Amino acid sequence: MSIIAKRSACVLVQGITGAAARLHTKNMLDYGTKIIAGTKPGGGGGEVHGIPVYDSVAQAAEKHADLNTTILFVPPKGTKAAALEALNAGINIIIMVAEHVPLHDNLEVLEEADKKGALVIGPNTPGLISPSEQTKLGFVPSQYFIPGPIGVASRSGTLTYEIVSRLTLNGIGQTTCIGVGGDPIVGTPFPKILEFFEKDSETKAVLLIGEIGGTREEEAAEMIRDRKITKPVFVYLVGRTAPEGKRVGHAGALIEGSRGTIKSKLASFKEARVPVAETPADVIRIAKEILQKLGKEARYA
Amino acid sequence: MRLYEYEVKEIFQKYGLFTPKGQVVESAEEASRFASQIEGQVVIKPQVLTKRRGKAGMIRFASNSEEAFRQSQSVLGMMVNDERVSTLLVEEKIETAKEFYLGATIDYSSLKPVAIASPLGGMEIEEVAQKKAAKVKKIAFSISEGMTDQELEKLVSIFQPTERMLVKEVARTLCQIFQKYDAEMTEINPLALTKPGKAVALDAFLNVDDDSLFRHPDLVRARGISREEFEFEQSLKEKKWKYIEMDPEGEIGILSSGAGITMAILDLIKMRGGRPANFLDTAQMNAEGIYNAFSLFAGNPKLRVLLVNIFAGLNRCDDLAMGIKRYLQEHPLRMPLVVRMIGYKEDEGKSILKEINLETIRSLEDSVEKVIQIAKGTT
Repeated sequence: MSIIAKRSACVLVQGITGAAARLHTKNMLDYGTKIIAGTKPGGGGGEVHGIPVYDSVAQAAEKHADLNTTILFVPPKGTKAAALEALNAGINIIIMVAEHVPLHDNLEVLEEADKKGALVIGPNTPGLISPSEQTKLGFVPSQYFIPGPIGVASRSGTLTYEIVSRLTLNGIGQTTCIGVGGDPIVGTPFPKILEFFEKDSETKAVLLIGEIGGTREEEAAEMIRDRKITKPVFVYLVGRTAPEGKRVGHAGALIEGSRGTIKSKLASFKEARVPVAETPADVIRIAKEILQKLGKEARYA
Repeated sequence: MRLYEYEVKEIFQKYGLFTPKGQVVESAEEASRFASQIEGQVVIKPQVLTKRRGKAGMIRFASNSEEAFRQSQSVLGMMVNDERVSTLLVEEKIETAKEFYLGATIDYSSLKPVAIASPLGGMEIEEVAQKKAAKVKKIAFSISEGMTDQELEKLVSIFQPTERMLVKEVARTLCQIFQKYDAEMTEINPLALTKPGKAVALDAFLNVDDDSLFRHPDLVRARGISREEFEFEQSLKEKKWKYIEMDPEGEIGILSSGAGITMAILDLIKMRGGRPANFLDTAQMNAEGIYNAFSLFAGNPKLRVLLVNIFAGLNRCDDLAMGIKRYLQEHPLRMPLVVRMIGYKEDEGKSILKEINLETIRSLEDSVEKVIQIAKGTT
């Protein structure tokens, strides 16, 4: 088992004819992802790596009734229209990879997804990968991931690769690794992801890779404190030393007033008795400790 | 992108909101000429991007043209948060009966736009919300449909019955402006109720989402920075690079790819006592990109060492190594260079850099240790 990125995913790639989309469609297919259609306005009738291309999502959905997931390899300006198109065609998992999608566009997509009961991942995400399901949705470099008991959710792509590659080197595999997105507005932030991992029988422990800005880390900590999440959770937080008011990294990583400070996040996790790693090496140490406590069974699940 | 007060007021006027009669000036002479045309007092407001101008003592009043000249002269040229006051908005002073707060912003917890109203105008709304929560009304609304009449009614229920009609129309317009301008936040604080029963926006705030600026090209221009700085910013934006100056006393330059890992590197350096000077976060690096990126650091005299972090997932170590090699062969670097390199085609990348006698490091922590030693002069 795993979350969201499952073998049952029947995947559409929107904007499939672009250079990056072609490359990552190939990578996803090689990994085992079941991509069954692509779209490009005006590109209908063509093929990319043997995958049929349609003019619109509606046309693709008509031909492929089992489509349930879409990845948007679409520029930020076109992301809203593409996402709404997919939602209107009844697709219920939408992955928005683009960075720099306007905030109001994000809000509109999320509002519509809410009405339809659909799930939005991102924007500004490398996507997600479930090694045991041989399914990746997006462009995470799959060579660093192996199957195992840890669920990983992160606000940063590159930092995920850095950390997960070390887990993998130490033989600690993952159920699903998900980039929730680096923007201040994302469809599936940490609290929602924790609920998914809590319900997933294979996930034995969860690693959150968070950063300053926003209050999702604090909300996650509250859920753990209130025992809504019972699986062990551990955290790596970056931006500890970032100056206030300066946007050091992600658009979401901006501190304003007392909101989103490292102090507030550390205090929340402390209250919830969640171990917080200070360095990448620390993450591995904590992961090993947790797995040891859970016993052998979890380690090789 | 934050706009100047006078720019926001121009937008307000376009949408039919009342603002005090005023003029944008750049000299004390112009200010005094405008004041001479106004019967009562004038308010002199520096146009800077800092909020809290009042607290900084930058809002001045004048009863006649001589005083307007004097006050303007004393404010012009003042420095506020690295920004020099060069423009003033001189306005007639409005006699107010009451001062309210109206705003529209994004609630990042519920992920919905929210309209905010309070009868306590002129204060920071966060402060009011904290100290007198009962005096703040927040109503979430639909981004696609805007504030409905019913929602507006709820919003203005916090005011006296006789005031509601008037404020409701201002709130409706403000929410429209919020939507039209892709605002992160827009505020009228204070909104003055005058004795004759008019609602006038005394101050005006609007922060446009940077990522939406392709829809608002007319708003893009340099504010609070020089033309050169602005052009530099724009060129970085085009390349999707994030370049930040951190610490004027810093000694370590950082070239990395990805926001999260770059923040992690900054943390590691600072936790070990190092001082990062600046960093560049490139969205996706290739040979050409890394070659160009070096030029941002090469001429910086205060840098004692440059750390390059490469974790090749989608890109290739050998490609990036070629870019570094080409740069170094064409431009001798003034400062020592530490390259951390790991990932796809790592061995190939390593041998390319070996050709120019550059040893790479695999571990992130080791590379950080190395740059700190160099910066401190202990190697």
